[in-house]
Amino acid sequence: MAVVSETIEEKPSLRFKIRSWWLQYFDDIPLFAWLVGALVAAILEMLVGNPFARLIGMPRGPVLFGFLIALKTPLLIPPAILYNIVIYLIPVFLVARFVGRISNSVADWMLKRSVILSTIVHLGMLYAALHIWAVFNDYRILVVKLILLAIMITLSLNVVNGYMGEFSCSHPGFMALGAYTASILSMIFFVDDSTFGPALLPPAFGQFAFPIILIISGAVSSIGALLVAIPSFRTRGDYLAIISLAFTFIVKSLIENLEVVGGPRGLRGQPDWATLPVVFVWTMLCVWVINNYVRSTFGKTMNAVRDGEMAANAMTINTRRTKMVTFLFAAFWAGVAGGLLAHVLRYVNPGSFGIQKLAEVLAMVYFGGLNSVVGSIVGAVGFNLLSEALRPLELYKWIIIPIMIILIMIYRPTGLIAFTEFDVKKLIQPRNKKVREA
Amino acid sequence: MSITVSLIFAILLSACGQAAQPTIKIGVNAELTGDIPKVGEGTKYAAELWLEDIKAAGGLEVGGKKYQVELIIEDNESKAESAVAANTKLITQDEVLVIVGPQASKQAVPAGEVANNYETPMISPWSTNPNTTKDRPWVFRACFLDPFQGPVVANFVTEEFGFTKAGVLYDVASDYPKGLAEFFKKAWEDLHGPGSVVAYESFTTKDTDFSAQLTKIKDAGAEFIFTPQYYNEVALIVKQAHQLGWDKPIVGSDSWGSSELIPLCGADCYGLFFSTHYAAAGATGKTKEFIDRYNAKYGYVPDDVGALTWDAFGLVQQAIQNCGKITGDVKTDRKCIRDALAQIKAYDGITGKMDFTQGNDPIKCAVIVKISDQGEFTFYKSVCP
Repeated sequence: MAVVSETIEEKPSLRFKIRSWWLQYFDDIPLFAWLVGALVAAILEMLVGNPFARLIGMPRGPVLFGFLIALKTPLLIPPAILYNIVIYLIPVFLVARFVGRISNSVADWMLKRSVILSTIVHLGMLYAALHIWAVFNDYRILVVKLILLAIMITLSLNVVNGYMGEFSCSHPGFMALGAYTASILSMIFFVDDSTFGPALLPPAFGQFAFPIILIISGAVSSIGALLVAIPSFRTRGDYLAIISLAFTFIVKSLIENLEVVGGPRGLRGQPDWATLPVVFVWTMLCVWVINNYVRSTFGKTMNAVRDGEMAANAMTINTRRTKMVTFLFAAFWAGVAGGLLAHVLRYVNPGSFGIQKLAEVLAMVYFGGLNSVVGSIVGAVGFNLLSEALRPLELYKWIIIPIMIILIMIYRPTGLIAFTEFDVKKLIQPRNKKVREA
Repeated sequence: MSITVSLIFAILLSACGQAAQPTIKIGVNAELTGDIPKVGEGTKYAAELWLEDIKAAGGLEVGGKKYQVELIIEDNESKAESAVAANTKLITQDEVLVIVGPQASKQAVPAGEVANNYETPMISPWSTNPNTTKDRPWVFRACFLDPFQGPVVANFVTEEFGFTKAGVLYDVASDYPKGLAEFFKKAWEDLHGPGSVVAYESFTTKDTDFSAQLTKIKDAGAEFIFTPQYYNEVALIVKQAHQLGWDKPIVGSDSWGSSELIPLCGADCYGLFFSTHYAAAGATGKTKEFIDRYNAKYGYVPDDVGALTWDAFGLVQQAIQNCGKITGDVKTDRKCIRDALAQIKAYDGITGKMDFTQGNDPIKCAVIVKISDQGEFTFYKSVCP
């Protein structure tokens, strides 16, 4: 392929060169091989990360790719880059290249058995790599948990703001409902404390009851959403934005005035159930369910409603029902995410679910891209990693991040990766042409 | 080639091999950005001032040996999530021996959970929520609690003016004013009987018009107003009260004690009283020394956050020195510092004497401050438990 370029232009551009080099070496490597590479890199870091970091002059293995340490002591920028290249970059590419061919057959074999099996194996690999990477340092575990939760929240807001084209501001309210419901339930039933008295059930059952608690939290959020949906979907336009914003304030002041749940002092003492695997499983479930929802026939009616409500109505779509169901569905996931958040932080405070939270979630949605599951994931991961990595810059962080968001809004008004479909089957299929065509 | 590589490795390894004396790492978890940046700034400045002293002395002397001290300051953006993340990072990545901060309870409560779980001593200079230290052997604070401050104000007003009818104006949506208003109400009613708080009025954060509530308080026949609000709201409340013809005292709490109060409030605040941790004007001895140094370096008189942070660092220093030695093993050192902190007796800080022998909340005196006609916070009297 690279040969052709010489006849067209004298000097091929750098971009073209990289592209052709990429095609030559890495295009036929399936996702499976990249995951193996990531896993190997994570294991490598676990085995030699700290000694290697000390060898090149860092106190210990950097947590977030050296950002935190390099921004505080610029002298450590070269070791941080070296660390990233040696521990992550080279192993990932080498291993991916090395196992590429075998992986193609493996991916093909799995895909032929069943898509679900293949997906589960891929997710297992992803989790293994993530887990080994995260347990290297407890700070990483927390960052990964918070990022996974951000993915859930961003996705659920994207369903309303992106796929349905309405502007909702009630996500902090839904999260608060979920967080408080989950906290109250788990504390009443499984924790001895001064607020709710002794545990009603043996604490050992708590871990197993946690999914049920989360589902109830989601359901409570959905009921809350009903209060917003009934008045606002009678009409079209900005009403939802206003009513949902009011809803957020109502929930916040309601909790502030409820002494039972601590009022403005907040509620502490949630059990430590939101471990990394639990959060991971719930996030994957959320991505899977939302992705299926937006790709289903019913999900497509949301786009129809967004693009032309009159036309959609004429095409026998019950637009009001579509809007209601979607809104309640989105609120459910926001509630689940809120419930998990309460158990990750083990403390809830009504002040955490205000305008600042709303701004954050909206930023993640529009940063990543409207109407796209991949976009939401990219938005949540990108925004959170950036926000965590730029922490040493203190005040300047809040100049850099908004500028980036403004730039994205100017050059890509719908976000980084907007209006793309997330096709799991396409993602996990083998990349080798021979295998693919066979 | 291989010789060069092995040579480089050998040099690098030998450089690392030298057993350096362990540095004492202290983490600071501060509200540098977000809602209350002035609090974060005060924390940071006080911490840096303290470090300056240590550096000037050539390190912190523990058991006859001098150790280098390193401060690791993390921003918690005034958010619960960030405070937890910052504490986790400080403990697991930077391996600090002890953490000072966060200041506000909204951050200090969840961050305290992290510190307690990882068995790392933490001392919050300014958090007054009982939950911060409750059932947490590893978490301390350097200030008195709201349940103590409420009665202090009630007793002071009773003794000073002989009033019996109180009016209260507070923010219902903020934990500190709400808690303090409740504690004050209870203490006042214990002194003067039920119904002696003739008006108990509230508003919500970011409200700017208080005329309705103030009129009610005035009409109810209150003899003074207790308003445990932050400095920005105090300026509005006091001015509006005076516009409505209020000429009786207005009394506040430690949240008034910010250097921003007088620039915002002006002459309206002159002559008013509030209870706090320390008084800047007329201070003597160590307190004055600290205030002068702070003022010379950063250009303003430090408020209570700065003073309490300074004392928190003093306590930490005392605890480390009482420990006797730094082994370099983080776990042992943390345990030792915690135990030493819990046993500190009659520590003479710039915000008063502190005693930790009865738990993780210090036993200390409150100060009643009168705002002078020059707008200075002058010491009026000291109230001890």
